[in-house]
Amino acid sequence: MSGSELNLSVNIGQKLPLKNPVMTASGTCGYGAEVARFYEPARLGALVLKGISLTPWPGNPCPRITETACGMINSIGLQNVGLKAFIKEKLPVAKALGSPIIANILGGSAGEYVKIARALEEAGVDGIELNVSCPNVKKGGIAFGLDLKSFTKLIKAVRKDISGPAIIVKLSPGAQPIEAFARAAQEEGADAVSLINTVPAMAIDADSRRPLIRNIVGGLSGPAIKPIALWLVYKTSKAVTIPVIGIGGIRTGRDAIEFILAGASAVQVGTASFVDPAAPVRVLEGIEGYMREKGIKDISALVGGLVTGCS
Amino acid sequence: MPMPGQFFMVGLPGRLDPLLKRPFGLFRHEDGLLSFMYRVRGKGTLIMSGLVPGDTVEILGPLGNHYPLPEGKYRIRKPLLVAGGTGVASLLPLLRELKKNSIFVYGGRNRDELLCIDEVRGLAGEFIAATQDGSEGVRGTAVDVVTDLIRGRDKDGFLLYACGPAGMLKSLQGLGLQGYCAMEENMACGTGVCLGCAVKTSTGYKRACTEGPVFDINEVVFERF
Ligand SMILES: Cc1cc2nc3c(=O)[nH]c(=O)nc-3n(C[C@H](O)[C@H](O)[C@H](O)COP(=O)(O)OP(=O)(O)OC[C@H]3O[C@@H](n4cnc5c(N)ncnc54)[C@H](O)[C@@H]3O)c2cc1C
Ligand SMILES: Cc1cc2nc3c(=O)[nH]c(=O)nc-3n(C[C@H](O)[C@H](O)[C@H](O)COP(=O)(O)O)c2cc1C
Ligand code: FES
Repeated sequence: MSGSELNLSVNIGQKLPLKNPVMTASGTCGYGAEVARFYEPARLGALVLKGISLTPWPGNPCPRITETACGMINSIGLQNVGLKAFIKEKLPVAKALGSPIIANILGGSAGEYVKIARALEEAGVDGIELNVSCPNVKKGGIAFGLDLKSFTKLIKAVRKDISGPAIIVKLSPGAQPIEAFARAAQEEGADAVSLINTVPAMAIDADSRRPLIRNIVGGLSGPAIKPIALWLVYKTSKAVTIPVIGIGGIRTGRDAIEFILAGASAVQVGTASFVDPAAPVRVLEGIEGYMREKGIKDISALVGGLVTGCS
Repeated sequence: MPMPGQFFMVGLPGRLDPLLKRPFGLFRHEDGLLSFMYRVRGKGTLIMSGLVPGDTVEILGPLGNHYPLPEGKYRIRKPLLVAGGTGVASLLPLLRELKKNSIFVYGGRNRDELLCIDEVRGLAGEFIAATQDGSEGVRGTAVDVVTDLIRGRDKDGFLLYACGPAGMLKSLQGLGLQGYCAMEENMACGTGVCLGCAVKTSTGYKRACTEGPVFDINEVVFERF
């Protein structure tokens, strides 16, 4: 079987057909153009761009990142160019890359989310990922991701106004119980949920007695969080029928397959792209290799294919 | 061709811990061989120091901008290179280009810390070492030496190139010279996508890996102090 005989296509709702299930994770591929010197972005299912807010945000002071065992903590603070510059300067360049474009957005209020989403629909994006799970900004964002009532209201408000792009809701690992948040997203008309965002975490230097991140607390990502992400994807996919997009520590095709077996329809590759800028393409090739090796022609045959009980 | 001041991300293949590549300035580039000079600081450099010939590392680069040579209106200025500790790794490639048209000030805690001192001494037009214990050159810091050097002289006669600890760079900035400094920030990607390596400047945050590592020294806002 050659790559072209394999069917890797997946649908994110009715609106967003992807030719394969591999995307970049927000905040790890810039605004798209930055990765084009390492691989052809059109090979991926979609590009999820750096989170944007209504107005430009400067971000947090350094140190913003520190490495921990098998992972890293970041507190970038959503540094971004703001909606206006994004639409004028970044989006046209990203769209020309030939891959579906998913914008990741964060607002301080439901009204702000709606305003950004409307402008993006007009500018023409294929999907909008609602970031309600960033641990690194004080106002908005995660406040919606941890409180079911405001979470539900937010998605209702955005859904009411947006009909073109697919709406993906990015869940926090701290949303409790995660099934309730995923169900609420589905009931309010979200096309998919993606999870997980980074896990709130900290690191300390025992010699200087100082935190290794200026902001003291940041978000943990990378292989260290994969088992947590797998578990949450597994639970979430059992609770909803809309597609679940798995994120957290994915570096290889086998990692991605594990998420798909746990119930994910698609995956996003984040921190691994820092180690190897072409990681998303290697993940895709790894998935193809696995399918060929196991004689699986259609990726949908693997989704939720976890085998449990006695063998 | 890599230029003086550019860097590479260096990684240990097949490992999850350490996970990320580490940035190192290119120290030498000769006959297709890239050399780096580094100090063992933590986990990654400790493992690197145990590598033996035949072992593999992964590299990504050259990355970032480079030291601008004294051209145009800066042509008539005297390049003043100031290295603190392993900052010499970044400035030696520049010195190899400038050769005798340079003053090199090299500071460290003691003689043992002043790596490659013979090569630097041999290349530079004028060389002054400074150690805190006086075991090499004058007793004091590189900043003390530069302060003495420019006293009573026209500051516009110099073009500063500095690499070393942030404290040193901040003090040098206070001397009011024109010139450049190379900044070290924690880096995850080295390619401009993570925004982890932000350096605060008078025109906002810039990425050390992409808009840097070399900055106009008078543009940098030293945040860690
Ligand atoms: C552009 C640039 C060029 C550099 N060139 C050289 C060089 O030529 N020679 C040299 O000895 N060192 C150089 N450094 C510093 C070098 O990258 C760090 O010493 C190295 O990353 C430490 O890794 P570690 O695993 O041993 O330490 P860790 O255990 O990871 O950390 C030890 C210390 O190193 C700092 N550090 C950790 N990770 C990074 C990182 N990714 N980037 C920067 N600092 C970090 C930490 O803040 C900490 O203080 C350069 C840094 C930059 C940004
Ligand atoms: C440096 C960095 C920046 C990030 N920025 C964003 C962001 O802007 N919006 C968002 O929703 N998630 C952001 N994330 C979270 C990632 O998209 C992803 O959910 C998380 O890192 C887990 O995946 P990973 O282990 O593959 O990195 C960021 C992560 C990192 C490491
Ligand atoms: S190291 Fe990632 S943006 Fe500079």
